[in-house]
Order: sequence, then C-alpha cells, then structure tokens
Amino acid sequence: MDSKYYATWEEYLAEHPELEGKPEHAIAPKIQKYEDAVFVFVMDLLL
Amino acid sequence: MTDAVAMTNERNQMFRDLFSGKTPKRVPLSNPATQDFAIQYAGLDLAECQWDLTKLEPVYEKFCQDFVTDTYPGGSIRLPSHYQILGSTPIVMSSSGFMQHPEVVGLLAEEYDEFIASPYDCIVEKVLPRLFTELNGAPGKVAMTLAKAMRAQSDDLAYLGTIRAKMNAKYGYATMMGALTEAPFDFMADFLRSFKGISGDVRRYPDKIAAACEAVLPLMIKKGTLPNPAMLGYTFIPLHMAPYLRDKDFATLYWPTFKKLVETMAGMGQNVQLFVEQDWMRYLDYLYELPENTIMRFEYGDPKLVKEKLGKKHIISGFYPITLLQTGTKQQCVDKAKELMDVLAPGGKYWFQADKSVINFEAKGPVADNMRAVLEYVHENGTY
Repeated sequence: MDSKYYATWEEYLAEHPELEGKPEHAIAPKIQKYEDAVFVFVMDLLL
Repeated sequence: MTDAVAMTNERNQMFRDLFSGKTPKRVPLSNPATQDFAIQYAGLDLAECQWDLTKLEPVYEKFCQDFVTDTYPGGSIRLPSHYQILGSTPIVMSSSGFMQHPEVVGLLAEEYDEFIASPYDCIVEKVLPRLFTELNGAPGKVAMTLAKAMRAQSDDLAYLGTIRAKMNAKYGYATMMGALTEAPFDFMADFLRSFKGISGDVRRYPDKIAAACEAVLPLMIKKGTLPNPAMLGYTFIPLHMAPYLRDKDFATLYWPTFKKLVETMAGMGQNVQLFVEQDWMRYLDYLYELPENTIMRFEYGDPKLVKEKLGKKHIISGFYPITLLQTGTKQQCVDKAKELMDVLAPGGKYWFQADKSVINFEAKGPVADNMRAVLEYVHENGTY
C-alpha cells in the first residue's frame, strides 16, 4: 500500500533517524500498531 | 473447569470442525437479533443506550438469558459518538434511534483517476472531507476532530468488549474473532460512488471501475486480515451489488477482484464468511469456484439448489426468513426451521443463521417468542 498517510515500520524508521540505536523490538510494534489502528478506523468509516 | 468454560470449549470445537469441513457435534446456531433489538427488548431507549453504554450490561444479560445461541449475540460497529464528532453524513442516527446509511457520494466520477493512482490518499484527501463535515476545514481542527473521534470509538469498543467478555464467561459462547471487509466493487459503490452513481458508471466508465477495483484490492485485503489468521474466527464480507448487475458486468467488473480477495484470505489460512445478500442463484457456478469451506450465508434463493450445487464444497448458512417471525405462528416458525435443517444439515457444512438481522422489537408482537422457539428447536434437535 503506497500512501503518504500510511507507513510501514521500515518507511517510518527511514524518516526518523533519531530512532537509530534505540530498542527497535519495543518501538516497531508500537508504531506499527497505531499506523494500523488509524487505517482500520478510516476504512471502517467507509464500510 | 466451570460449566461455562466447558461450553465455550465445546462450542469452539464445533466451529473448528465446521470451518475445517468436519461434521460438528450438532448444528451451530446464531441468534439473528442485533443490539438494537436487545435494547428495545429490555424496554430501554435505543438512542440513550447507544450513547450511554453503561446501560448495556443488563440489556445483554437479559438478551443472553432469554435466547439460546452458540455465538455472542448483538454487537455493533456503528455507535453514534464518533460519527457525531466527525459530522457524519453517510451514517446518521434516525429520530427513532437506529443508525442509518443514506445514499451518499464520496467520490466524484471525475476523480476516478486520482483514486486509481492512490486510493488511500484519495480517501483521506477527497472522500473523508466530503462525507464527514468536521474533517473539512483547517488542518488543526481536522487533526483535533480525528483524535477525539478515534478516542470516542476506542472507548466505546473497549466498553462493549468488557460486556462481551462477561457474557462469554457466563454463557459459554464460542470465542471467535472477526474482521470486516468488502468486495472491491461494493466498496466503490457503497460510500464512494453510491448505488445510482456506480450503476451509471458501469455503462459510462467500465474501465475506470475495473481499474479502481484493482487499485483498492490491497486495502480490502489489509482491512480483512485478522491479527492472527490461526485464530478461531472469520473475515465477514457482506455482498451488495452483484444481483443488480448484468451477467457480463458481474463477470468483468465484480467477480475478478472479489475472487482474488477471498482467495487471498483463504491463502492466509483465514475463514471467510460471505453474507450473500439478495438473490445470487444465477451466480452459483461462480460461488462454487471459491476456496473450499467458504462460509456462505444466503438471504434469498433455493436452499435445495444451493445444497446440491455448493453444499459438498462450501459451508451453507442463512435462508431462514425473519419475516416469518413476524407473520407466522410459533408452530409455523419451528416448522420452517425443521424444513431448512432437513435440507441443509445432512452431511454437515451447515450453520443455522437467518436471512438477515432482526433489529426491531414490538412489545406486543410475536417476534421474540417465535425467535426463542426457533432457536430452542435448532439447539435441541440439531445433533448429528
């Protein structure tokens, strides 16, 4: 899914170099969870 | 182990057997009535209870106590708070408290190319501001509105989740997860181009529709994906527009991306439940092509023909006419359940559900008593 309103963790990390060296295993699932939560919320509005 | 836990385990096993093509211990059944019905059945105000969810626990307690079912009854994704905050036009509460979906156009015909180029961007930038008035304005206001709406929905769903967990623990329902998505063509119709708009587009811009369905397919797959495909549960796909299409338009515009959607879900190990709305009898050969054990809940049609053509490969459900609960005697309602079970239950691959949901309750009407009689009949006489 190519969109400026949705990012995978890899895309997010590329835009946020300040996270380099931080505990990725803890950060990645949390960031991805909220990316997905907004996606589901938006799509539910149209279902 | 408590009785409720044992019942949950037994019911979970029934659905695991059903979804994997094995004959379960008995015919699984689901209560067709919704949360709207449950609130009215409890004698409470529909609008007030959907705003103040603290009133819902006794509603569900009575509902679960009075009607036997294997799956948690009720539930709702259309609670009013976040729609109100967003200034919703596609989902609005009526004066009687029901959440309704008026005909809306979220995407203009001249915006097809923009949608095809990037569906999600187009949804965020064009469709949402058009359909939700509070998302049309200054960026700061839109951001604050979105935050409030998401928080409201999250709180509401969390509260409903606690009630569900309590009822599951007390009544021993099957603990199934669910996801919701749509066939790409239906998604383009429902909130984007409208019934009238897409019907004209089929003749004017068929290539645009086909391209839009392909473009939005990844979003539909993502939306329908369960957190863990191995979970007991299914992706629910209500089907809308196919009965209103000519055969050749169905074949070229509706079927290709719908088939890919179902095949992708099945390929991930997920069960799929189709709500086959209206009459799909002319499309049975298409439905046969879908992955084995696709669950198909039918609204109208010929149960014998469906069992004959699809029943060895797929899981059949639906067909029970809820209008009979309003017009028939208790005996007629039970007889109808028996008639459908005689046709559809042999050999397994059958889940007792009605042809549509029961949303309205009249205190002096026969629906509650008739529905209770039907559910009890199926529960007591569905053993294989």
